[in-house]
Amino acid sequence: MGVPTTLEPTVVRDPDADERVAEDHPWVVIVWNDPVNLMSYVTFVLQKLFGYSHEKATELMLDVHQKGKAVVANGAREQAEMYVFRLHEHGLWATMEKDGPSE
Amino acid sequence: MRFRAPVRRAGDGFVIDVDDDEAALIGRLSGELRALLAEEPDDPAAQALLGRLFPSAYLDDDELEAEYQRLMREELVASKLAALDIVDATMADDRTLDEGGLMAFMQSINSVRLVLGTMLDVSDDPESDEVAAGFEESPEYALYGYLSWLLEHCVQALSS
Repeated sequence: MGVPTTLEPTVVRDPDADERVAEDHPWVVIVWNDPVNLMSYVTFVLQKLFGYSHEKATELMLDVHQKGKAVVANGAREQAEMYVFRLHEHGLWATMEKDGPSE
Repeated sequence: MRFRAPVRRAGDGFVIDVDDDEAALIGRLSGELRALLAEEPDDPAAQALLGRLFPSAYLDDDELEAEYQRLMREELVASKLAALDIVDATMADDRTLDEGGLMAFMQSINSVRLVLGTMLDVSDDPESDEVAAGFEESPEYALYGYLSWLLEHCVQALSS
């Protein structure tokens, strides 16, 4: 086997993964459309980081691509910030904001 | 025409099946990104190129955004440098790696694409050309295409 690595695979297995975007969390994590990241790559990263099915991740990616952005997760601020960091680590354009009717 | 995917499963892991020239090119790009990451935060040219690698987390709260950058930027740089270490070691060795290694390789390839994409002003606006005027025939745009191809195969291999 080649080179030992220090980075762990980032799979998150979670039976409730498709329910990640729930009603009662105060912060939402948003991925924005950008012209550089490949659609297949964005789908893959969403599967890896959030444990989404390929179908769910594809749906979110298409929302990003066609509507300009999509809410991909939510949670308490620390949790949302960790997700944003992981998305930034993968080169996706992600932000977070307080959930609310302001949009 | 090549018919073998450049990134494939092999045994318990994966192989980056590139020739020596490609491996040297990938190593060179890794070195260039490493140098760019080492530029001072007040170097406007370098920071403009790195913009896509360090996006804002908070668009509507300057205070929280400053705190995020203060706490996370260094960690993000460290993560990218660790990933580049894996790229360099893999290209210098037998070009095999485990899943975590391929994730790091993929992230690094994408980081270089993000910098090149900024340089070329890549756009997906159907009303405009994909890259800024004058860059259509540039070697940088060809390189961007090559890295997109490699990245696509990383995703395919990791999904297989």
